[in-house]
Amino acid sequence: MKRGLLWKGVLIGLIVLVGALSAYPLQEKIKLGLDLRGGTYLVLEVQTEDALRAETGKDLARLVQELQDLGADTVSATRTSATAFDLLGLGSDHATDLSTVAEEFLPGWGYQRRDGRVVFEMKTQNANLIANQSVKQAVETIRNRIDAYGVSEPVIQRQGLQGNRIVVQLPGVDDPDRVKKLIKNTAFLDFRLVAYPADGRGASSREQILGNYGGRLPDELEIIAGPIRDSEGNFVADQYYAVEKVSVITGRDLKDARPGLGDFNQPIVNFFLTHEGGQRFGEVTAANIGRGLAIVLDGRVRSAPTIRAQIRDSGIIEGSFTRQEVEDLSTVLKSGALPASITYLEERTIGPSLGQDSIDQGLKAGLLGLALVVLTMFLIYKVSGFNAVLALSLNIVLIFGALAYFGATLTLPGIAGIVLTIGMAVDANVLVFERIREELRHGRTVKSAVDAGFGKAMSSVLDANVTTLLAALFLFQFGTGPIRGFAVTLSVGIFASLFTALFVSRWLFDLILSRRQRVDHLSI
Amino acid sequence: MEFFTDSNIQFMKYRKYWMILSIALLLVGAIEVLFVGKLNLGIDFAGGTQLTLKFSEPIEIERLRDIVAGAGVEDAVIQSFGAAGVNEALIKTPVVEGSQEGSQALVVSALDAALDNLGPGIDLNRVGRETVEALLSSSDPDAVMAGKERYGPAVDAILGFRRERGLIEDWGSISALPQVTPAILEALEAGARLGKFSILGAENVGPQIGSELRQKGLLAIVSSMIGMLIYIWIRFELRFGVGALVAVLHDVFITVGLYALLGFEFNLTTIAAFLTLVGYSVNDTVVVFDRVRENLRRARSTPLEETMNVSLNQTLSRTVLTSGTTLLVVGSILFLGGDVLRGFAFILTVGVIVGTYSSIYVACPFALLWESMFGRGARGRRREARATSA
Repeated sequence: MKRGLLWKGVLIGLIVLVGALSAYPLQEKIKLGLDLRGGTYLVLEVQTEDALRAETGKDLARLVQELQDLGADTVSATRTSATAFDLLGLGSDHATDLSTVAEEFLPGWGYQRRDGRVVFEMKTQNANLIANQSVKQAVETIRNRIDAYGVSEPVIQRQGLQGNRIVVQLPGVDDPDRVKKLIKNTAFLDFRLVAYPADGRGASSREQILGNYGGRLPDELEIIAGPIRDSEGNFVADQYYAVEKVSVITGRDLKDARPGLGDFNQPIVNFFLTHEGGQRFGEVTAANIGRGLAIVLDGRVRSAPTIRAQIRDSGIIEGSFTRQEVEDLSTVLKSGALPASITYLEERTIGPSLGQDSIDQGLKAGLLGLALVVLTMFLIYKVSGFNAVLALSLNIVLIFGALAYFGATLTLPGIAGIVLTIGMAVDANVLVFERIREELRHGRTVKSAVDAGFGKAMSSVLDANVTTLLAALFLFQFGTGPIRGFAVTLSVGIFASLFTALFVSRWLFDLILSRRQRVDHLSI
Repeated sequence: MEFFTDSNIQFMKYRKYWMILSIALLLVGAIEVLFVGKLNLGIDFAGGTQLTLKFSEPIEIERLRDIVAGAGVEDAVIQSFGAAGVNEALIKTPVVEGSQEGSQALVVSALDAALDNLGPGIDLNRVGRETVEALLSSSDPDAVMAGKERYGPAVDAILGFRRERGLIEDWGSISALPQVTPAILEALEAGARLGKFSILGAENVGPQIGSELRQKGLLAIVSSMIGMLIYIWIRFELRFGVGALVAVLHDVFITVGLYALLGFEFNLTTIAAFLTLVGYSVNDTVVVFDRVRENLRRARSTPLEETMNVSLNQTLSRTVLTSGTTLLVVGSILFLGGDVLRGFAFILTVGVIVGTYSSIYVACPFALLWESMFGRGARGRRREARATSA
């Protein structure tokens, strides 16, 4: 055997070995897509406007507070959009105060006077920063929640660098509805002192509360509703409370939250406060023993127990919860509040039994197709057909090896891609073999026919494969999920088939021809 | 076995008739797509919700339709799914006005109400691992206060059974599982129930994503065609590029027309199939052109028409063989590959046949047509004509 042939043989052996090793054992190395193994794929959008609105509210309050501290008692402000507000009632004697305060406390804002008002608008750069932060924080929060729920190998990714979309992939989740609720739960928790009614039970209507205050609610109070439930947890009616606008503590002051059982074995959440939060809570509860404390979750009063003693660093949240609700609530409270609400734009949940059917049928069809192709090759090219079939087998090994190596996911369209590649992989062999036959018919010797066959077919083989590769690249660029999987398998298949048809198959011919001095006949 | 060893078919002789046939087919496809048929857009592109449900008892499609309509969800498409006797149904509903999140909640709660599927206790056909575990550890049938771990294997077995079957039909079927002891079964029967249907699959595409996917899909097909035109233009010549492009358009339109005519659904997989078809069609054409180019170099004085004829005959056996093997594969997916891949396989099956035909009878004639209209010879003739008329 010639040295060149030997080295080529060793190289081919090595490449195939690496391919086989990287794909072995197949079940562990090849990741199945959600469409095959079952799971949930979600695209959600963070409503960044919520975060902007909150930030505007905070800055607005700060500005009014600071101006009032400087003696401008008549100022007030109203929000006009998510990123703008009007400042009203500022006397001309406080004009310099405005610029000092704005510069110091509202650096992210621009403002201008317009017929008696001062119009504040958030600078675009600042708005973008806040929006961006809120998406980042949402990704973190969602990750915490999903980790706490216990999903193996979840994928939580922001779509694009600047976008406000998040893609969540959860393989093998058996209760997608619950996870969806868990992710979406804003869980904005705060504790407010109750002003009226004093007995811990709510009033039956808003009017009743207003009546108590002579028709006009004091500025520092607001009315919040909450559900009354029967002993089985079913909603009966709403009840109303007048509570202070300022929160005692919020979800941010929580260090930990755990599900537990209350005195009557009813599900509750035990919470533990941070050092600062505990101090504040201690002061307020000590000063207000005997008053009601409303626990407000997402804008609804869940319960309003009476403060019996000073509470420092831990407490309970109760309010006719079910067991599952307290579990999810503690998870959400621990993970922190979402900075903005969330909308699901796309959801795909595929049950594992659906996926299994697809795999079985796809594999069966693929194997039959493969068998038919192999048969055809032997029928048409006789002994040389063996050459093509060997190239084809190596091709399949290499495809799986490359898929495993790049950590690509195998999807249902991906299986179709592999099957299709099998059909098309023989094309390169066919091109070469047909050319060799042609050269033989022109009376060339076997050796020179093989040489000429490979040489002349080369450009056809390359052109044909580049065009298919182009299609695969566009698929990858514009496709999502399973379609990308298809594009990857198709591209990998093209490279593998170029290697096997041009290199391996050539080497096999050379090997056979080098054995004998003169070859008169080629079975092709 | 060898075919067409000395074939000398005059492919180009009757090219006018073939071109007329192709244009007619193409028009039929285009008219079908653009004017006559309403394309069956899947939720990927139209947006909407698609639920795959499995019921414990046979349920009539008509009944399902009434229930869904009763929930205020209009224009739902409902069909039975999978093999007969598996009691599976597919409910496809259009986008809910003003919502990105679709009709799933509406439809499911309407079904719950109509099938009397409410009631105390957790629904074992819908809840997840944690919930079942919590139930068992709180009722603690083994009375050991051991916590969740003790009942883990039983929960795994039950949910594994559900995963495999899609639905737990009766208590008897899970009592056969070795991990489920009589005590556990009793606790389950007390605290849980077996719902009358399970949700095998739920997909929702909001209107926003739907329109984006539509744009992306179209962009992918158009830009890939332009990419191929440019590639062939660079590798060969413009006239070949034009021939290949016309052939691809021809294949895509005819296949789309047929696909739409048979009422198949257009979804993301369809786009993948069409892009593959584009690749295959160009691939086939390129092989022919490659031979034409080679023959042109060898015999410059031979007319292009004759060179094409010779090249087509030389590549004929390859064309037939490759199409044949690809057809064997896509054909077996078409017949055995299952519901999900059927549309995909159909497009490729039709595409391979039409693509093979078009490499011969569309790509070459149009390259010739372009040559006679804008080629070097044509330009010369036009200049002469102008000179004499002046």
